[in-house]
Amino acid sequence: MKNHTDVLIVSQNEVPSFGYLCRSVTNSSDGRRELEVRAAPSRKRSGMEIFMNEFSRRHPAVLFLYYLLVLFLTMFAVHPAALAASFGGAFLFYLAENGVKTAMKDLAYYCGVFLLLAVLNPIFSHNGETVLFFMNDRPVTMEAILYGAAMAAMIVSVIFWCKCYQTVLTTDKVLYLFGKTVPRLSLVLSMSLRFFPLLKEQAGRIGKAQKAMGMYAKDSLTDRLLFHVRLFDSLLTWMLENAVETADSMKARGYGLKGRSHFSLFRFEKRDGTLLGAMGILTLGTGAAAIGGMYRFHYYPGISAMQTGLWAVASDLLLVLLFLLPFLIDVKEKILWKISLR
Amino acid sequence: MENQLAVKHLTFSYGEETKKALDDVSFSVKKGEFVVVSGRSGCGKTTLFRLLKRELAPAGVKEGEIFFEGTPQEALSDRQAAADIGFVLQNPESQIVMDKVWHELAFGLENLGEPVSVIRRRVGEMANYFGIHQWFHKKTADLSGGQKQMLNLASVLLMRPKLLILDEPTAQMDPIAASDFIATLKKLNQEFGMTVLLCEHRLEEVLPAAHRVILMERGKIVMDTAPGQVSAGLKQMEEKKDPLVPVLLQSMPGAVRIFYQYDCPGPGPLTVREGKEFLAAHFDCRIKSLPAEEGKTFEEKEKAISLKNVWFRYEREQPDILRGASLEAAKGEIVSILGGNGSGKTTLLHVIAGLQKPHRGSVQIGGKKISAYKNGSLYRQNLSLLPQDPQTLFIKETVREDFLEAAKLVWKTPKDCQEQIRKVAELLELTPFLERHPYDLSGGEQQKAALGKILLLRPEILLLDEPTKGLDAWAKQGLIRLMKQLSDQGITLLLVSHDVEFCAEVSHRCGLFFDGTVISLDQPQVFFSENTFYTTAASRISREQFHQAVTCGQVSALCKENGFLR
Amino acid sequence: MSRKQAAVWAVTLLLSIGLLAAGVSAFRDRNYMMISMMIACLSCVPFYFSYEKKSGSTRRTVILAVMVTMAVAGRLIFGMIPNFKPVAAIVTVTGVYMGASAGFLAGSLAALLSNLFFGQGPWTPFQMAAWGLIGFFAGLPFLKEFLKKAPGYVLYGLFAAVFYSGVMNLWAALSIDSSFSWKAYGAAAVASLPTLAVYGVSNIVFLWLLSAPVGKKLDRIAKKHGIF
Repeated sequence: MKNHTDVLIVSQNEVPSFGYLCRSVTNSSDGRRELEVRAAPSRKRSGMEIFMNEFSRRHPAVLFLYYLLVLFLTMFAVHPAALAASFGGAFLFYLAENGVKTAMKDLAYYCGVFLLLAVLNPIFSHNGETVLFFMNDRPVTMEAILYGAAMAAMIVSVIFWCKCYQTVLTTDKVLYLFGKTVPRLSLVLSMSLRFFPLLKEQAGRIGKAQKAMGMYAKDSLTDRLLFHVRLFDSLLTWMLENAVETADSMKARGYGLKGRSHFSLFRFEKRDGTLLGAMGILTLGTGAAAIGGMYRFHYYPGISAMQTGLWAVASDLLLVLLFLLPFLIDVKEKILWKISLR
Repeated sequence: MENQLAVKHLTFSYGEETKKALDDVSFSVKKGEFVVVSGRSGCGKTTLFRLLKRELAPAGVKEGEIFFEGTPQEALSDRQAAADIGFVLQNPESQIVMDKVWHELAFGLENLGEPVSVIRRRVGEMANYFGIHQWFHKKTADLSGGQKQMLNLASVLLMRPKLLILDEPTAQMDPIAASDFIATLKKLNQEFGMTVLLCEHRLEEVLPAAHRVILMERGKIVMDTAPGQVSAGLKQMEEKKDPLVPVLLQSMPGAVRIFYQYDCPGPGPLTVREGKEFLAAHFDCRIKSLPAEEGKTFEEKEKAISLKNVWFRYEREQPDILRGASLEAAKGEIVSILGGNGSGKTTLLHVIAGLQKPHRGSVQIGGKKISAYKNGSLYRQNLSLLPQDPQTLFIKETVREDFLEAAKLVWKTPKDCQEQIRKVAELLELTPFLERHPYDLSGGEQQKAALGKILLLRPEILLLDEPTKGLDAWAKQGLIRLMKQLSDQGITLLLVSHDVEFCAEVSHRCGLFFDGTVISLDQPQVFFSENTFYTTAASRISREQFHQAVTCGQVSALCKENGFLR
Repeated sequence: MSRKQAAVWAVTLLLSIGLLAAGVSAFRDRNYMMISMMIACLSCVPFYFSYEKKSGSTRRTVILAVMVTMAVAGRLIFGMIPNFKPVAAIVTVTGVYMGASAGFLAGSLAALLSNLFFGQGPWTPFQMAAWGLIGFFAGLPFLKEFLKKAPGYVLYGLFAAVFYSGVMNLWAALSIDSSFSWKAYGAAAVASLPTLAVYGVSNIVFLWLLSAPVGKKLDRIAKKHGIF
């Protein structure tokens, strides 16, 4: 049953395939962000439970905290070392999660994004004292270029963290975290997720049925647009009718009674505590280093000199450790696993 | 024993309609009883069941009373009403609320506010008992239809109901999953004393498990008796010239349909085994077969569909679904392909319908290569596909508009279109439903409306995918008549189905689809009498006495020929 | 508005102002990016809480989930033409027929969920806020009836395009030059004119194609099952 419905959709292009991987449109020449259209790597392994890397197995609350921390630090970072650490951590983690091939492909793509963003900054910003050349009678400064590069690094790092985020903090974990605070909202969210595969299957069936009636079967753009509008129409009716039955089944099982409880499979274990502790110590350390001025850095009017000395190296190391936590945990587990197999 | 449920003089009509959906219905269910309710679709059983579950009660005018364990329904607390009466609906898919299996199981207990430790223990126990632990972490969308309905049952049972109500739970399932499901219900009833109230079309397997059967027609209870007394009850009704007898009979198990009219000491035969014993004990069986009918032969007729050595797979890395499938159907022939779920029957139809392209082999439609049909001309008054789910065909707000859309593809003037719509609607007895929204029709009516839309395309070749899904026995008879009529007009019908009884009655030839090919394509008499397991109840009852009798009609006729011995 | 709801609004407002102040003073006009992302996130909070507090039937909740799903599906189904998407149109219709807070939810959740397929990123909160507000405004009581008919939805389609583009340009400008400058914003706005045109056209086309049928369907379901 499963096989056969699943493949209905994967099959041919002429039937409205939900283009999960719409890898098209990245016309960023206008400076506008079209990155959004780029798809997340598909981790679905037909029906099997998604394989989880070690880091992802930690308690959702700890994972969520870690993400808040990392995003916060990355976005406030100006220091090149911090940005490099953040990008390195995000990329290595992405590599551990998705394998070398995907990671390299994405790296190449985001190198382009990085360059583009880095080049755009000096066009708008003419601060800085080291003028390299003039363009349209406006000075282009080295500081602006470097600053642009730093900002681009920041954005690319955030994007990589977000890409990992999707595989680490899956929706069921997010729902677990917020289920108690906003129960109705999380119900809407989880039902939507549930409806999605249903919709996909039905879209495939409707597409076939309509095609076999010979309706809007030509290849012209208007026919295709109208076909999709019909498909959408039919899907909506179908969804609405079935949703009422879902609501009935919820009511039949007592949804809406007072004092709902929240069940989950997640348990806070010792290793979660350890991770939390490590995060705490590293955060305190970086905090102290920040107050001590170890991460002070500026681009304008001139690039500040890199700080040297033992303390500077130590505080940079703290950051590196913090950003590398997920990667290290994944790798450690992989090595231990290999050893235990021997 | 104490009553679990008592219904007293229940009358109900939907808001605007004056017609009564339920008319003075009274019955009771004792604790630990397994009661089956059956009847044609539209007889009011779904309305009755929904009224029994307070949360699902439809809006309308209600008279009479419903008692649960002696308490009037209105007096139950919300918690009691939700937990003590478990309800499983027909569609396995739309009942599931959550994304993951484990969360779906916990849903009811969460609603009741059970603490997490209790939920964990109960869910674990239930998952083990139902063998759900293997797919505990899966997404609910990735389950098979049978697994989905089993999950629905388990998540209702987790709330520890005292009464379990199931509204046609197996209607959307294939026979194997359906009998698993029924077996589970039987076990729950026998080993845990669960009170079960089940509504079902397929009585063949359910009836032997039940303590009582209630038959309904037009909102009234027409029979309420032990399963063994059904034959006697039917016979009494027939003596009173009750016109309902043929209707009720259609849904009965094979043994009842064949033997109900003969006298029997004690309860009449219900199961195949009892039927076999009855046949051996009470009939002489000298005449082994009926005189050969003037059957139609299709051998010299031109071929409408011809498949030769067709191979197909969805993706290059995936295994082949069709592995050298060959098949021929002559003009006007009805060919059925039987086979289990997921065997690739639907894919076969899609290949024939040109929706999928095989990577090897040839498909010819009307003597012409399928690839020679360009720009949808394959579907212009030539080949049509009735999909498994009739709802996929409906686009418009009323049945008439949907019909019109199809008619416009064939006829030019509005007058012709309306004329054709009128004809098709009459043929399918759909005239009263033309102005209704397609989704407001019952399952059987939807199936007919979908067929109507397809027929308006004037196909020469009609492919039907699981046309009996969700149909009651009576509607199936109507479909058989219609299909034969179409065949007489020279339309070729190719259907895939797992409904053995239906295929035996309707087809000129039957084949089994297995391992990517069609094997043993033969006349139904030969096909089903050669099979030992994949065959009709009538054939299983009569195979030792009669030669090639595969439908209840044939066995019944042979019994008459031979005469009742006593 | 209940007292609790008012409190949530007030807290969000204070937090936003506090963040801005903190951003300007402590970080010296750096990290507008971070701050604006946080404000975008925070702006969703009061809407979410107001939805939680509203009483509504289970069926209504489920139907809202359907509309969210359809908005996401719309973004996927019409994948063939870039930026030509029905999301804003569906969110608008949801707002009109199901009310302002449902409209906000539909918009923001559609952004969140569809980015599961299109990729999450720093732009997610901006999209959530933008589409959410489009749904919210459409559901305002004095606009509802106006938006059901022809001149109304055309104007609103244009407004939604400009509004969405305006919010997203903020993000674009911030990603070019992380300290906010009107120059960068202006450049982003100019660069996005073609997409803005596509947004406008798609909003109007989809509202024209969908608003009546979708409204009809919602009305039918509502009547058949007595929901709204």
